[in-house]
Amino acid sequence: MSDIALELDNLTVSFYTKQGEVEAVRGVDLTLHQGEILCIVGESGCGKTVMCQSVMHLLPDYARIKAGRMIVCGEDITGYSEKQMRNLRGSRMSMVFQDPLTTLNPTIPIGKQITESILKHKKLTKQAAKIEAIGLMEMVGIPDAAKRFDLQPHFFSGGMRQRCVIAVALASNPRILFADEVTTALDVTVKSMVLDLLLEIREKTGVAIVFITHDFGAAARIADRVAVMYAGKIVEIGDVEEMFYDPRHPYTWGLLSSLPQIALETGILHSIPGMPPSLLNPPKGDAFASRNKYALPKDFEEMPPMFKVTDTHYAATWLLEEGAPKVERPVLIKRENA
Amino acid sequence: MKKHPVIKKIIKRILLFVVVLFVLSLVAFCLARLAPGDPLQSFYGDKLDTMSEVEKQMARERLGLDSDILTQYGRWFVNALGGDFGLSFKYKMPVIDVVSPLIGNSLLLGVTAYIVIFVLATVLAVFCVLHEDKFIDKLICKVGTVLYYTPAFWLGVVLVLIFSINLGWLPSSGAYDVGKANDVGNRMIHMVLPLIVMIASHLWYYGYMIRNKLLDEVRKDYVLLAKSKGCTRREIVWKHCLRNVAPTIVSIMAISIPHVTGGTVVVESVFNYPGIGGLAVESAKYHDYNLLMVVVLITGAAVFAASFIAQTINEEIDPRMKEMGTIKW
Repeated sequence: MSDIALELDNLTVSFYTKQGEVEAVRGVDLTLHQGEILCIVGESGCGKTVMCQSVMHLLPDYARIKAGRMIVCGEDITGYSEKQMRNLRGSRMSMVFQDPLTTLNPTIPIGKQITESILKHKKLTKQAAKIEAIGLMEMVGIPDAAKRFDLQPHFFSGGMRQRCVIAVALASNPRILFADEVTTALDVTVKSMVLDLLLEIREKTGVAIVFITHDFGAAARIADRVAVMYAGKIVEIGDVEEMFYDPRHPYTWGLLSSLPQIALETGILHSIPGMPPSLLNPPKGDAFASRNKYALPKDFEEMPPMFKVTDTHYAATWLLEEGAPKVERPVLIKRENA
Repeated sequence: MKKHPVIKKIIKRILLFVVVLFVLSLVAFCLARLAPGDPLQSFYGDKLDTMSEVEKQMARERLGLDSDILTQYGRWFVNALGGDFGLSFKYKMPVIDVVSPLIGNSLLLGVTAYIVIFVLATVLAVFCVLHEDKFIDKLICKVGTVLYYTPAFWLGVVLVLIFSINLGWLPSSGAYDVGKANDVGNRMIHMVLPLIVMIASHLWYYGYMIRNKLLDEVRKDYVLLAKSKGCTRREIVWKHCLRNVAPTIVSIMAISIPHVTGGTVVVESVFNYPGIGGLAVESAKYHDYNLLMVVVLITGAAVFAASFIAQTINEEIDPRMKEMGTIKW
């Protein structure tokens, strides 16, 4: 099997609403390696979730993949039918959702929801599936799993339920796990435990994780690579070190400087002025230009391509073009031993 | 001695049952007597016109209709406790003897219709949800609504006209042919038309309710998780969503008993089907107080028992309902 788990090639997704076409994802190129944790960071409504759901083919009927290709483990799944997707969902890729209180069926015992996923893709007896499910529950850190197997979700706390959802998602050994804001609904201590759990799972199973978040802190903790999304496009992508110590896109600067931790140092809690643009009629040029104090005239006219910073680090801003005026980047996070 | 919570709950519900029946009987008793009209009319028929005031007064005394309502109720209540529900004014025999042969007929028709309505409603609702907004879903919704708004008596008459009179396939009235009371086939043939009318006039009311409930349900987050496990739409609706809608269906089934019983009243009178539905109309029309009381009590008890059973079933399906009960407000 090749090293690449997921490859997106110019993925473009639109919603067709009464008001018109909403361009939710506008040409995303992305590669995800086996066993890698890629964090996708961005504001609400920037297309993070839509991107993942389109790979899973979970989009509502009024959404359509307009262009681009999606290749999962070397298989082009762009035009796959619902039936073909069903075999891949769960076994090849799986998804964990934001709110653990609503993503489990309230009337079905936890154990049964896990075995359902196992029995879908493996030929096992119910008894064997139960043993495997209990193993999974223990792996995601539910003590006394055998006793809790027959309990309904409402007996569990939010963090426990999120662990159960992760167990459901992992039940058929997927190669890719989409974690859609899995820590957003959890409190801080539970959040860090779930992040540790994801790292641990990656170690044990070698699953590649696409971790969607708007929390840079969580990204710093678990990511190998970070991608920043804005208005349906990836504006900067790079290794986690590069993204934090050497960000190049003004939007990434804005996001990093609005971290509360940074406000502690500078005394000012920065915020990015304005609102994200409507994707009903997306602006031409760089979508971030109107909120960007470093914007060049060219930013309003022409969409910047991805400029290469290093082999792993790319950013879409005209500031990186040769001959662009030098801009003093606000120093955000210093390397501790630099 | 500390009682087991389940036993405690059952005792509580039985006590409640008794209280409800008592209040129901009191209200029905008073309302019936406050309604204008003369019960002597049903006892004596046309002969009433030739009776003198004195004779009427004596008749009232004999039937116990001369004292005030509460005294009358007290007397009825004491007798009823002893199992004596009085005499039917119209049939001039104990009401129990009037009602008991008809209960079986009504139960047969009512229960069959009830089961078919809800099974069919659920199946149709699931079918519609699986084909949401497609042509077939819209068609079922439209046809179902038209059928629901078709008056039962009109539909009954039209069906009789087509199948009994023009085609001669099915009998037009009664529950069985003379002398064939125990012939199952004969009874079934007689039930076909009443059943069709009952089902047609109730089916979509419940089908649509279940359909809309299910549509809410398939938009919930857990459906996405089930889908990302690799479940088919059909599996999700049958195994996941229907289970969550089941408490609602069971509750609707419980409270729908008066509705469906009300339907039997019309159907029984259209098809001249001997049942207690027709009896209820008759007893109200003729001020046959004692008969009315028994019919009201039977229906009331059925409704209450059904909601009790529904509650118990729901707690089994969705244990959250039990847990909720432990929270003190």
